[in-house]
Amino acid sequence: MERTNRIVRASYKIMWRRMYREDVLCRSIPGRQTRQYQSPSHTPTTMTDFKGVVVDLRSDTITKPSDGMKKAMMEALVGDDVYREDPTVSELEKRMAECTGKEAALFVPSGTMGNLISVLGHCEHRGSEVLLGDLAHIFLYEQAGMAQLGGIQPHIIPTNPDGTFDVDEIPVRLRYEDVHYPRTCLVCLENTQNVCGGKVVPLHWIDKVGEVAESVGLPVHMDGARVMNASVASGVSLERILRVCQTASICFSKGLGTPVGSVIVGPEKFMYKAIRLRKVLGGGMRQAGMLAAAAIYSLDHMVHRLAQDHHHAQLIAKAISEEKSRNVTCHPDDVDTNIIIVNLNPEAVTPDQFCERLLMVSEDEIHETGDGGVLVKVMPWTTTTVRFVTHLDASLDNIQAVITKLKYVIRELDSIH
Amino acid sequence: MAAMLFVMVGGAVLPMLGSDIEGGSLSMGALEDGGPGGAVPAQMTVSVEEGIEGGAEMEVVEMKHSPEKKRRVRIYSQKFRKEWLHLKEFQGWLTEGITDDRAHCTVCDKELLAGKSELLKHSRGKKHRTRAAKSNPNPPPVQHGLSRVIDEDGMPHLLRIVDLRSDTVTQPSREMKKAMMEATLGDDVFSEDPTVKTLEDRVAQMLEKEAALFVPSGTMANLICVMTHCWGRGSEVIVGDQSHLYLWAQGGMAQIGSVHHRTIKNLPDGTFSLNEVRGLVRDEHDPQSPLTSLICVENPHHNAGGKAIPLNWMDELGALCSELGLPLHCDGARLINASVALGTSPARIVQACDSVSLCLNKGLGAPMGSLVIGTKEFIAKAKRLRKVLGGGLHQSGIVAAAGLWALDHVAPRLSWDHTHARALAQSVCEEHSSAVTVDLKDVHTNVVLLHCDNIRVNAKKLCQRLASVTDEESDELSEQIVVMALAISDTTVRLVTHCDIRKEDVRSATRKLKYVIHEYDNMMYLEYKISV
Repeated sequence: MERTNRIVRASYKIMWRRMYREDVLCRSIPGRQTRQYQSPSHTPTTMTDFKGVVVDLRSDTITKPSDGMKKAMMEALVGDDVYREDPTVSELEKRMAECTGKEAALFVPSGTMGNLISVLGHCEHRGSEVLLGDLAHIFLYEQAGMAQLGGIQPHIIPTNPDGTFDVDEIPVRLRYEDVHYPRTCLVCLENTQNVCGGKVVPLHWIDKVGEVAESVGLPVHMDGARVMNASVASGVSLERILRVCQTASICFSKGLGTPVGSVIVGPEKFMYKAIRLRKVLGGGMRQAGMLAAAAIYSLDHMVHRLAQDHHHAQLIAKAISEEKSRNVTCHPDDVDTNIIIVNLNPEAVTPDQFCERLLMVSEDEIHETGDGGVLVKVMPWTTTTVRFVTHLDASLDNIQAVITKLKYVIRELDSIH
Repeated sequence: MAAMLFVMVGGAVLPMLGSDIEGGSLSMGALEDGGPGGAVPAQMTVSVEEGIEGGAEMEVVEMKHSPEKKRRVRIYSQKFRKEWLHLKEFQGWLTEGITDDRAHCTVCDKELLAGKSELLKHSRGKKHRTRAAKSNPNPPPVQHGLSRVIDEDGMPHLLRIVDLRSDTVTQPSREMKKAMMEATLGDDVFSEDPTVKTLEDRVAQMLEKEAALFVPSGTMANLICVMTHCWGRGSEVIVGDQSHLYLWAQGGMAQIGSVHHRTIKNLPDGTFSLNEVRGLVRDEHDPQSPLTSLICVENPHHNAGGKAIPLNWMDELGALCSELGLPLHCDGARLINASVALGTSPARIVQACDSVSLCLNKGLGAPMGSLVIGTKEFIAKAKRLRKVLGGGLHQSGIVAAAGLWALDHVAPRLSWDHTHARALAQSVCEEHSSAVTVDLKDVHTNVVLLHCDNIRVNAKKLCQRLASVTDEESDELSEQIVVMALAISDTTVRLVTHCDIRKEDVRSATRKLKYVIHEYDNMMYLEYKISV
């Protein structure tokens, strides 16, 4: 059972209150004064007390636009995109269509809307069903949009740890024509698979799914929120990855650093439907060229540097595995792209506690590590795991600081349990 | 002597054109044609007749051979030509002068005679060059709103395009872009973007409601409001039959939200009958009926001509809604325009409303963005709906900053848009034409609806005519003006003024409208017809 993503706010007040309620960690640090215990009356609620480094590894969506990107945004030519008169949006759409080998593209405000438009566009008629993995983002984290807004039923297939599902399940779960059955309209894939740990889905598997789907007459949609990471990690071009997919949704607001925006690609006829769906959902932005300019800039400058994020993720995973802790484990081979899933021993520490510990500094820690102290923001993922995501705003120095902190915290935990 | 002169000219050996050499003077024509460099070296001391160049054929100089008057009298003087504004040597400093045979140098602040060679001589002068270098190094090439068009003979023409299709076509200004780039950002999905929070708080305060939510478009704002109010299954909404929410949202509340529209007849002033509302509210105990969950009103009412709804009627409607126990939603896409037109604060207009949707991307000039405003619980639900619809933007502060700048700098000047709209409407009224009419009393905000009689002209033809230019028209108006408008029905053309329309644009649009209407009036008497 997964827990949905929760936002861990770095507020000392909350942590202090938790500690005060005789939490495990509180009891586990006898005699060691963490900052919060200095005096109950002194409860720093903001980060102004803290002079060290804060590294946010909760998600790669927090990346801010660089100066070059802002300059490109300022200088962009804009027009009214609802009248389809924005030249920068048109340029982005043309470029994305070319680079993915599809006929056309459409700029949308978010990946959620991109996926929703794609699913609603494929499943136009009443009583439709979609085949997708049970750990897919569309199924778990889009608030059941396809069911809520589109009246479409998701049919889930168990996902393997590498992000794939059994291809033979598709003809088995496919609905044939019967008055009791909805009609299967679409197969959805996800690359990279977020919940499994940013796994790059094997190319031969994608091709096989495409082959099977074509044989039963189903289109394939790829939720490629981080497909650029997949392309850089595997060295395969985007066009080759998406060859068997009819449509795909690609995000710019994640590792590529754009403030806002995603693109859906597919056949031209589909785009007519997609434009209508985008309008009714409320995604018809006016002078969207400014955001499209940021996306074009990221295509030119930010794609190749994704390899650095992957390298940083490998460094963190290696550091954790080198500790050979029994409580906090991570395997570097499991880390394909910029997402690291760290497994915790639930008896020793829960994900919430681990995240909160990473958001605190003790005096001894500052003395030992020598720097001003590091706070790391990460996200509790499931009941036993925590997720780290590296991105362009976390430089190598930040990653080194994170590694130092992690090592300290792991040793601390190991010494207690 | 002549041979020496030839040698001084760059060493080139030129054929001696005997007929050209007269006494001590040499005609410039021969040297210019033959010389490799083309420019005459300064050492040559010959008296030179005025060079006849391409542009100034008009110039005729006549000398009066009387002993008393040795001055040259110009019978025909060169007028200022707009084509000169495009030439590289004149860019950045040349403008028209006070009279039409004068030009003005903005850098030296000096009136000059409008002659091309005069202006060239001035531009080469030392004082002008130093002054120009000190001032703006990157001068804007052409005046605002003008475009350069080359016709089939290769002659450049100046084309003024006035886009009155909608106030959504406004472009972000340089200062707005600067504000956008300097905004502090964060991830709004984690509710950590300070600029978005500032905008939401500011607008909530402005409308005296509890909270606000930033969304990418007005369509999404209205959809979110309706779906949030109609949270349960089987809901119905009472909405005006001419309202934007019913006509132009692609049936979103039904398509996406599973909510049923129940329309009520809109009166020409944008209101509807309150008694009729009572009749439309459903009986909740009847299993055949859906449950009436919401009443929607649009202020200002766009289809009715941008009319601001009277305050007392809004208050009455609010009282009725609280009596019936129904929430009231105001589609306030252009609410600030309505508040300017009525002379009250926007908060006073929506006092009785439970939720409001406000657009930043219309008259206020932001590139995109709208807001949903309501109570705290309402906004909490609305946030969920925004996420499922796909409106959860990450660093949306960059666009929210544009909205904040617009509220500070564009909102105070909205009355100018209304003035411009009235000017356009007045110009049409003054023609007293039966072909194209407008009711001046109906122009409350920045929308002007032109009604065409279907005999001489219909809406589509009028839009096409306004967007095209004939030769006679460009001769008479001495400017090529294209006015873009939208035909919203067979007989109605809509003009919308906005912050990118300036006085010169309104003046040009007025002249064009008058010309076109005059043309339609004289249609029976003119031989040719505009075939569009």
